Amino acid sequence: MPPTSFDQLAVGHEFPSTSYELSEPVIGKYLEAVGGQQHFLTSGIVPPLAIAAYAMTALSQSFPVPAGAIHAAQELEFLKLVPIGTTISCSGKVAQKVQRGPLYLLVLEISALNQDKEKVLSGKATVAVPV
Amino acid sequence: MDQKPKLSDINQGDSLPSVVKQITQKDINLYAEASGDFNPIHVDESFAAQTPLGGTIAHGMLILAYISEMMTTAFGQSWLSGGKLSVRFKAPARPGDTITTSGKIDSIEHKEGIPYVNCSIESCNQKGETVITGGAVVKL
Repeated sequence: MPPTSFDQLAVGHEFPSTSYELSEPVIGKYLEAVGGQQHFLTSGIVPPLAIAAYAMTALSQSFPVPAGAIHAAQELEFLKLVPIGTTISCSGKVAQKVQRGPLYLLVLEISALNQDKEKVLSGKATVAVPV
Repeated sequence: MDQKPKLSDINQGDSLPSVVKQITQKDINLYAEASGDFNPIHVDESFAAQTPLGGTIAHGMLILAYISEMMTTAFGQSWLSGGKLSVRFKAPARPGDTITTSGKIDSIEHKEGIPYVNCSIESCNQKGETVITGGAVVKL
């Protein structure tokens, strides 16, 4: 059963996989937001940070993120080129949840697969959440 | 987009091509729409004003995109497939900030005959405060 509150989110919880089609309009919108790098559209390759952004969003939409939560640290590894038009599946799990004073530090493992089930990105995000 | 750089063109101590971006609330809102991350700390000015941060802040992943832009310029496809990043967010980037992302090559090492380039990376605001610090590794 998915957690209905942050308190219910436990270490080991696995988030449901979420798929995104990284179409040209989707990537065009992402590139506009990050201020350029239009060469990705001409080369037909998805910027790796766009994949990471969708992987993070997939997790944040899978549980009620408390207002005021902020990103504290990030690790990423880009494993394979992803052509524009690829559908990726993003998943993740809770690796750590530790209370430090007025904050919880939540460590989330993230990964993204292409439609051939090859891992294209992996990483770890640390999010600071007010208690 | 540049293909993979030649190892002979890369030297320890080389600076990476810096990226300078001015952050506006419009940029932050655009990023929220593109990524689907509408956390109110980024997009709700009245909410953010009541938090300890005192106002909206940019998504950490937006600033990371600038780091990736620098790494892509320096290393081309070697970064896009074979790049690793580990960073800490030290301070928020706020609307009105000018963020300068820079880096340098700390070392080049070989593992099983494959060269790896180790870089230190940093993003600072216009006051010189570090917003992001960390390292990156590129497999050539």
